[in-house]
This record gives sequence, C-alpha cells and structure tokens, in this order.
Amino acid sequence: MFKKSVLSLLVLASSLIAASQVNIYSTRHYDTDKKLFKMFEEETGIKVNVVKAKAPALIKRIESEASKSPADVLITSDVAGLYKAKQKGLFQKVNSEYLNKNIPAKLKDQDNMWFGITKRSRVVVYRKNSEIKNDLSTYEDLADPKFKGKIMVRSSNNTYNQSLLAAIIAHHGEEYALKWAKGIVANMTKRPKGNDRYQVKAIAYKIGDIAIVNTYYIGKMIGNKNVSEAKAVEKVKVFFPKFENGGTHINISGAGLVKTAPNKENAVKFIEFLVSKKAQELFAIGNFEYPVLKSVAPSKIVESWGSFDDDTIAISLLGENNAKAVKIFDQAGWK
Amino acid sequence: MNHFNKLTISSVFLTLLISIPAIILFTNIFSSSENWQHLVDTVLFEYIFNSLYIMLGVAFLTTLLGFSTAYITSLFTFTGSSFFHYALILPFAIPTYIVAYAYGGMFDITGTVTTFILDLLDKSLDEVYFMDIMSIQGAIIVMSLVLYPYVYLISKTYLKAESSSILDASKTIGFNNFQIFYKVILPISRPAIIAGVILAVMEAVADFGVMDYFGVSTFVTGIFRTWVGMGSVEDASKLASMLMLFIFILIFLERFQRRNKRYKSSGKDFKPISKQKLTGTSNIFAFIICFIPFFLGFLLPFSQMSYWFYLSYEEVIDEHFIAVLLQTLSLGLSSAFIITVLAFLIVYNVRLHKSRFTDNLTQIAKLGYSIPGAVVAVGILSFFAYLDKSFDILLSGSVLAVVFGYIVRFIAISINNYESGFSKIPTSYDDACSTMQIGKFQTFRKVVFPLIKSSMMASFIVVFIEVIKELPLTMVLRPFNFDTLAVLSHELVGQAQVYESAVPAMFIVSLGIVSVLILARKMVKD
Repeated sequence: MFKKSVLSLLVLASSLIAASQVNIYSTRHYDTDKKLFKMFEEETGIKVNVVKAKAPALIKRIESEASKSPADVLITSDVAGLYKAKQKGLFQKVNSEYLNKNIPAKLKDQDNMWFGITKRSRVVVYRKNSEIKNDLSTYEDLADPKFKGKIMVRSSNNTYNQSLLAAIIAHHGEEYALKWAKGIVANMTKRPKGNDRYQVKAIAYKIGDIAIVNTYYIGKMIGNKNVSEAKAVEKVKVFFPKFENGGTHINISGAGLVKTAPNKENAVKFIEFLVSKKAQELFAIGNFEYPVLKSVAPSKIVESWGSFDDDTIAISLLGENNAKAVKIFDQAGWK
Repeated sequence: MNHFNKLTISSVFLTLLISIPAIILFTNIFSSSENWQHLVDTVLFEYIFNSLYIMLGVAFLTTLLGFSTAYITSLFTFTGSSFFHYALILPFAIPTYIVAYAYGGMFDITGTVTTFILDLLDKSLDEVYFMDIMSIQGAIIVMSLVLYPYVYLISKTYLKAESSSILDASKTIGFNNFQIFYKVILPISRPAIIAGVILAVMEAVADFGVMDYFGVSTFVTGIFRTWVGMGSVEDASKLASMLMLFIFILIFLERFQRRNKRYKSSGKDFKPISKQKLTGTSNIFAFIICFIPFFLGFLLPFSQMSYWFYLSYEEVIDEHFIAVLLQTLSLGLSSAFIITVLAFLIVYNVRLHKSRFTDNLTQIAKLGYSIPGAVVAVGILSFFAYLDKSFDILLSGSVLAVVFGYIVRFIAISINNYESGFSKIPTSYDDACSTMQIGKFQTFRKVVFPLIKSSMMASFIVVFIEVIKELPLTMVLRPFNFDTLAVLSHELVGQAQVYESAVPAMFIVSLGIVSVLILARKMVKD
C-alpha cells in the first residue's frame, strides 16, 4: 500500500514538472551537447531533460516503457542505433521543411524518421616522414599483404570498426568483406586492444606503422593534458583513404523522433535546432566533428588535415549491415 | 499469525522479488535464437575458456593476497600492522577502470615506465622482454589487486570470531606457525575464503571496461558485442544466462562439498586471539607481504590519480559537481542501509527456518552480482514493463528503480557477509535461547545482533562503496538529469579527458577511504 502511494506520487510529480519541456534519451556524452541544450533552453524557454546511456539500453528502455515513455527524442552517436530503433518501430515521421531541405538525403532516413546531426570519418594515421605514405590508397588496399605486421586497430567490439566493415559489405558484398577482414587480421602488428587514442600512440612509438582511427579522437589528443597523448599526436599525420568506387568512410550521430513523444512539437523544434548554424558550429569547434550543414566549415584543426569526399553509399546501410559485420569479424578472428 | 511467520513470508517474497530479473534473463537459455549457432561455431568456446581462466586466476590471486594478509594482521603484530589493518582494504575503493588506465599508461608497450626504461637502456622493444600488461594475465592481475579486499575483509571478520583455544591446542601439540597456518587456520577459514573469492570472481567475470580496454574476449564482452553489434537482446541474454548458470553451479558445488563438514567453533570458552609479536626477519617478511598488495593495489594507482586530480580539479569542480557529490552520497548511504537490512532479513530467516527452498532461493538472489549491470538492467526493465502494464505506473526513470537495481546487483555482497558471519555462531545458541523461553526478538537483540554486528558493518561499507562506484545500471534506469560521481567520471573518460575523470573518481575513492576508516576503527574497538 505504502509502496503504491509512493509510486503514484512519483508519477504525479513527474507529470507536474515544467509544462514546456523536451525529454531526450542520448548516447552522446559530450560537454558540447550540454552547452547546446543550455543554448536551446535560453532561446526557447523549453526545458531540456536528459538521460544518457548506451544505445541498446535506451532502446530497450523506450520499448519497455511503451506508451508511457516520457522520451521525445533519441540521439545516438552512430547510425546503427538509429537504424535499430526505427526497425523496432520506435520512431515516427518528422514533417520539417528545414530538415528536409538542409540535410543531404544520404545522411538521413528515407522516411524522415531520423536525421544525421554530425559526421565523423574513419581514417588512417601514419608517422610524419614515414615512407609508407606512398603506399596508402584505398580501404580495400589495407588488406594487401604489403602491410603485413604494420596495422594497428582496436577490437571489433567497437562500433566504428563495425561500421567500416558494414560499408565494405555495402560496396562489395559479404564474401569480399570476410576476405578483407581476414587480410587486415593478417596485417595486424598486435592483437587488437586499447582505444583509438592508444593506436595513435602505438604509431608514434613505432610499434606499428599505420593505425585506423576516427578523426575526432585525433582532435581531442591535440593539446591534451595527458602529455604522452599530446606528444604522440604531433608525431603523426592523417590520410583520408577512399573506397575503390566511393569516398571516405563516414558515420553520423543522429536524432530521431520517438513514436510516443509526449512533447512532439518541442521535439521537432529541438532536432531542427541541432542542425541550426549555431549548433553545427559548436559541434565542429567543440568536438572536432564534421557538420552536416554544408554552409558550416569544420574547425581549423580538422580542416588542416585535408579535405575528402564522403562515401557515396546511403548511411542507413551501415545500420542495416551492422549485425552481418559483427558475424564476419567473428569468422575472421578479428578479436 | 505471529510476527515471525510474517518475517518468513515477507523474506521469501523479498527474495523472490530480487531474483525475478535474474530469472527473467535466465528463461532465455531455452529460447531458440537466430545467432546462437554462429556464436557456437565461432567465439563461444573462447568466451568460455577466457572467462574460466579469469575466474581461476582471480580466485588464486585474491586468495593469495587477501588471505595471507588477513592471517598475518589477525594473528601477529609487526611494524605497521595497525596501519595495514585498514590500509589493506583501500584498493577496493579505487574504480577498476582507473587502475586499468593507470597500469596501461605505465607498463604497456607505449607506457611511461616502459619507454623510460627503454630510453635508459637505449634499446628497442624487441630487445627487452616486457610482460604485456594489456592481456588476459594483466587483466587478472588488475582485477585481483582491486578485489582481494573481499577475501581479506571476510576472512578477517571470520578469524576475529575464532577462539584462541584452537591456537593454544595447536601449540600444545607442537605445531610451529607455518603448521598452524597450513593445518589449522587455512582449513577452518575455508567458508570465509570461499565467500570472499566467490564475490571477487563474480565481479571479475562481470567486468566489461577492463576486458574491453585490454582486448580480452569474455562472456561479458561477448554479451555486449552480441547485444550492441548484432542487435540481439535474446542471444545476449542467452549468453548472460549461461554465465549465471556457471556461477550457480560453482556456488552449489561448493555448498554441496561443504554440506557434511562443520567449520563452526565450539562456542565454549571463547577467548579472543592474543596477537603474537614478530621480530627480526619475520617482522620484515610480514611487512613486505602486506606492503605489496597495498602498494600495487592502492598507492601506485592512487598516486597516479592524485597527480591527475591536481592537474584538473579547478576545471571540474563547480556547483553542479557539489550537487552530484551530495546526491551520490545520499544514494549510496540509503541504498547500503536498505540492502544491509534486507539481506539480514533474508539470511536470518533462512537460519531460523532451515528450509531447502528458501536457502536455494537466496542463492538465486545472489546471481545479480555475476552479470554486468547493464544486463541486470535489461532484466529489470522487462520486469517493470510487466508491472507498468498491470498497475498503470511508470517505474523506470525513478530513483526507486535505481535503488531496486542496486539491490538486485549488490545483495550478494551483503548475503555472503552474513552467511560467513552466521556460520561462526553455533545454532545451539538459538536452541539454548528457545529452551530458556527467551523470545526470538530478544534472542536477536541480546545474542545474535552483538555477534553479527561486525558483518553488518562490513556489508554496509562494502555495499556503499560498490553503489557509489556503480555505473551501467545507474545510467540505464536513472531519472532525467540525474548524475552520480561515477557517471561524471565516465563521461569525462568518453571525451578523452582521462585526467579530468580522476576528479570525480578521487571523490569516490575519498568516500571509500572515509568509510574504510570508520569500519577499521569499529573493528579495532570490538
């Protein structure tokens, strides 16, 4: 009895909180996002409530909360989460002229249920002055035996690696993808371990010759308090590989409108805000990500690494092929 | 109905409630799923092998570190013994990811110590052998350094309740210290060692952070890979239930083997152990045995953390931080209190009414500790979905949900503490009281409580530290805009700000140290 009254009180309390609000479930945990949410609050008077956790956990939570879910917007740091949420029927269509007009078709869901808000690309780093630079060309080529014992890359538990292999599947099919993954495993300097920053350090210390890493980690290492990382990143350079018949591999962070959103109008406003010029600039400068809005340039540091053309495949394919990619990694013995 | 029947009913109900999330996950073991064959064909064997390897390794190392130190500090006085008495618990307060980062940062092939030595010798990595710390062996070492205090703490509480008559008897028959240790102390301490080791092993196999960073594939990294990467909750739960089955078999094998043996002291002529003073070589030896785990498990990672803290505290500590600190503190205290009380009700009830059913149920309630917090959260969400529908409420996203999560995950710690503590109190005490017509409440107050007090205290402190360190479950079940120190620390690590992440972690450790000091003072006083 007591428990029940406490529970009903809790429910009551939560429904009384601020009339104008938007509830966000997010997997992104950056200070940039905190700043953005604050900016949105100041600009619109709409209170932003946030729960942050990993994508599958948040998806499970929305599922189990069902019609009572307070969630309005789900933000995930990679496309696989958005794809999964859509597949489970957790999103609804957004009718927004602004979003439709400004986000390139391949960076959003074909039914307008989710939209990319930032991009990051997965690239190769090598030691400055290393001659290996002349050998670098495509992602496909990384599996060539000429790189035997030279590649550092993290575990395939990591989503970014899964996305990369998903892209290979999209370009060449599963059979080729298995061959490619086996080729990379054969070329590894060490058993995969550590995070992307660890791989960069390994290159700086001449443990391997090239590492496959995400761009924004490189940005975060520059001037880092951790001196060994800051020093390491100065010893490396970035190379943007391409797919044989496409561009450089990118992934997105994105946002989708939850089907049961209690504050739908605010939610759409919020997603539009994330793609506004101001917000895009902040993502670019604060977090070294690439903006999805064409009119906003990346940060100076990021630009200094060079420019590249995005891969041509629809980003949703990365989500679609993710499970296949994990299985192929298992078969290839990529730990 | 007298109120002890009510106790039985409510405690069975409670145990059931706590076991439900684990049971829900467990039902997946029978479900057919699309990816299972793939797992069997490719990685399952490796998950099993590595998890077993880690379990054995951690069991061995935590016994070695935890019991040797508990034995030495309980039976002898030596240089620094009163310091080590509490200092040896401290590693437990340091979050494992900090230890992993610190050790990786120092001893890995790119580590500061390694590169320093290489520069000094003017040699390259191929010419000098370094142990690869970021490996399965390294993971075992790191986990054991943080988890041995379980064995230490439970063994120590246990040995304190041991009568010195057993030592006097051994000395009478001419045993030397080594023989006493090997032939008397070690065998009688078995229940305490096992209780501690099982907790350490459960936590080690449930770890994700260290294993993922060190590149070790275990059941748990597999669970996440399957869940996140393949998008299959069913297969992930199936892996989780296999892991639980492992742990369950382990618990029962141990209990089965122990069934016919009694390790209880007679209870007659209880005389606390009078400590023997060590001198000369044995004094130095005792010091070294205690210093090694303290240095490697606490001092080294703590110094690293302090340095990181010193470089970043000004940026990290603000108003929000203080609010989070207070919130973490109250969450930790209230959860530890609730868990300690609930576990007592459960264990005491099993003791009063020896029923196979309630006993087995209690073992099931422990399983929440052997699987990662995020997976426990999945079980809880499924359970809540059912309650939400039936009662028209929304449980997830409330503080209540978070606390329930902690209960499911950490009650094992408390139960194991009590089980070991109670095994020291002969049931003949209870029988004597009932013969003398002393009411059960009086028996509890006058006889049981004073004897079990130190287990209660130990349970409270350990659960408190676990709760303030807890991360994945808190993240999944929490209300909007609800942070804890562990969450702040995690977010900073995720943004490549490992140094800054040491600031909230430092407060976690400090809270841990304060509680350890309180516990140690209490243990001295008793």
